[in-house]
Amino acid sequence: MKLSIRHDTTYSYASDVCNSIQFLRLTPRSSERQRILDWQLDLPCKVNSQIDPYGNILHVLTLEKPHGHLALTASGQVEIDPDCEHEAGSQSPLPFLRSSHLTQASDALKAFATQQCGERRDRAALTALMQGLADHMPYSPGATSVGTTAIESFAGGAGVCQDHTHAFLACARSLGIPARYVSGYLCTEDETHLASHAWAEAWIDEAWYSFDVTNRLTRPERHLKLAVGLDYLDACPVRGVRRGGGVESMQASVQVHRQ
Amino acid sequence: MSRAFFNEMYEANGSCRPHYQEFARWLANTPLALLEQRRHEADLLFHRAGITFTLYGDQQDTERLIPFDIIPRSIRASEWRIVERGCIQRVQALNLFLQDIYHEQRILKAGIIPPEQVLANEGYQVAMQGLNLHRGLYAHIAGVDLVRDSDGTYYVLEDNLRTPSGVSYMLEDRKMMMRLFPELFAAQRIAPIDHYPNLLLDTLKSASPLDNPTAVVLTPGRFNSAYFEHAFLAREMGIELVEGADLFVRNDHLYMRTTAGPQQVDVIYRRLDDEYLDPLSFNPDSMLGVPGLISVYRAGNVVLANAVGTGVADDKSIYPYVDDMIRFYLSEEPILKNVPTWQCRKPQDLSHVLAHLPELVVKETQGSGGYGMLVGPAATAAQIEDFRARIKARPHAYIAQPTLCLSTCPTFVESGIAPRHIDLRPFVLSGSETRLVPGGLTRVALQEGSLVVNSSQGGGTKDTWVVED
Repeated sequence: MKLSIRHDTTYSYASDVCNSIQFLRLTPRSSERQRILDWQLDLPCKVNSQIDPYGNILHVLTLEKPHGHLALTASGQVEIDPDCEHEAGSQSPLPFLRSSHLTQASDALKAFATQQCGERRDRAALTALMQGLADHMPYSPGATSVGTTAIESFAGGAGVCQDHTHAFLACARSLGIPARYVSGYLCTEDETHLASHAWAEAWIDEAWYSFDVTNRLTRPERHLKLAVGLDYLDACPVRGVRRGGGVESMQASVQVHRQ
Repeated sequence: MSRAFFNEMYEANGSCRPHYQEFARWLANTPLALLEQRRHEADLLFHRAGITFTLYGDQQDTERLIPFDIIPRSIRASEWRIVERGCIQRVQALNLFLQDIYHEQRILKAGIIPPEQVLANEGYQVAMQGLNLHRGLYAHIAGVDLVRDSDGTYYVLEDNLRTPSGVSYMLEDRKMMMRLFPELFAAQRIAPIDHYPNLLLDTLKSASPLDNPTAVVLTPGRFNSAYFEHAFLAREMGIELVEGADLFVRNDHLYMRTTAGPQQVDVIYRRLDDEYLDPLSFNPDSMLGVPGLISVYRAGNVVLANAVGTGVADDKSIYPYVDDMIRFYLSEEPILKNVPTWQCRKPQDLSHVLAHLPELVVKETQGSGGYGMLVGPAATAAQIEDFRARIKARPHAYIAQPTLCLSTCPTFVESGIAPRHIDLRPFVLSGSETRLVPGGLTRVALQEGSLVVNSSQGGGTKDTWVVED
């Protein structure tokens, strides 16, 4: 499946931002299941790329002049192999057993994980966990915020893809299964829309398998991966700090064409 | 406890050890009233110099003077040379361990340490994987805590590889002793330590591949318990003391704001924990760090001393493997002893620990500073039961060790001169070579019978002498 993508993000600030710095993880890497044919970022100034600790492509954008808005555009062409179900890992998966503030497991999450998986630690068990979480936490935009932890969203029984993923990671790691956060894009079934999305990958049978709790999918056939990490903070497409600016509003649009 | 304590000054038969004889002669000829007066002078001088620290864990943070004891702790030079070699060996092995676990992971592949214990450890930083550091050094500054058991044998209690503090007290205690009792330093050969700031600066500069790098001290600010020390060391080394807000990232490099415009910074002696260094890479709520710092670090354009991710090597769950590290990386036998350690994550060790709590010292694997620790023989039944519950709930978070007898040293307390328990923290510097100034910081538990020497728990300090035999 060959896709042509354009992702525009514009931040507008109530007053001028004095200076800002952003970590951008907006550039996908090629792997067994996704081939990047062409990709570029349009940024306010030229920025070198580097590889971040998790192997993602990172751009560090620093702006020192006052600015009232910030526009970022990522565009390119990719080819996704819908039949490829898993990815190999070049580094040990064990660091992905660690919890983080956002993915810490409460007793309730641990009990839920055990209840769904029993003694099994295979793909079927994690699929049951995925279904269980999707039942327990119906997709509810606005029920949570970016800082909501797995413990909080699970207790509230509602969330968005980020919360679903964090809860899944907390459960999987509590079972001793390395699991990581994935941020990327999801294509609608008719391939006319693309949305920023998050899902999980777990290390089973010596490979990374996908679990998209929000969409109850274990085959990542419509998923384009941007970055991975321990949690949202490591993998999110844009993470920044600014001085000044006041209230911020963000507008994003994603266009996709199947070729 | 039935076992006798090793007294640093006196033999078991009451005679004075040779390296203390000069001091003993002086002490016998000095009236207590004069000692009292000198102690008072010392208190005043320290107070005026603002040498204080902040207590954590109390209801409110309180600033307090660290009590200084005027009776020195003395070590025979021949004995010191063994301790010195042992510390160097240990820190070299620990640096090799850090280099290894962030690269080839040979020690894990060889089955010497269970991989999960290292790689899933909270102190292990993925940000360090595959990153090449100049000279392969991670712990440029280490504080190795040593104690002596009842027969005088030295044991390493812990290796502080993150941001060990206390060196300012080592230096200030010496200055104070020379000021109060200059005659003592004229009468015998006491090894000097005042070159420590020069060695530290040399170590920091040699951590950078540049010829004449700009180094700074990064402090969390004046509310940190060791702020005095950060300011002290910056002044002694003649380099800038900065806070996170004084630094910024531009084009993959780090700069400090100065009155003459931005100046590039090449080496940071950071006294800030990993977690707070960069809100874009670690704790997003940190106001203390520098946004983007880790991207500069990973691009190889700034040196952090100590490196990020050293905490995995001084974690108390990794401590039991240091002897194996020395054998594995250096093909040497350890010079200094490790304290036998039970790891509560192992079921057999756990049941032993739970059955012997009143005899043991229990520590949190991630803890430091004497907080969250149980000293069995000194604990109440309620405290023991509290720890029993905590250990059962999170066995992997605890280790236990036998209660060491900790040597004593005569100390000038309210009731006169009496023995009090002490430890020793030499500071090991790793740069173009691994070295340390003679001695270190001696901490003393001022309460009678107490084995906890941490300043946060009512400990004081003493000047530490290495005396030629």
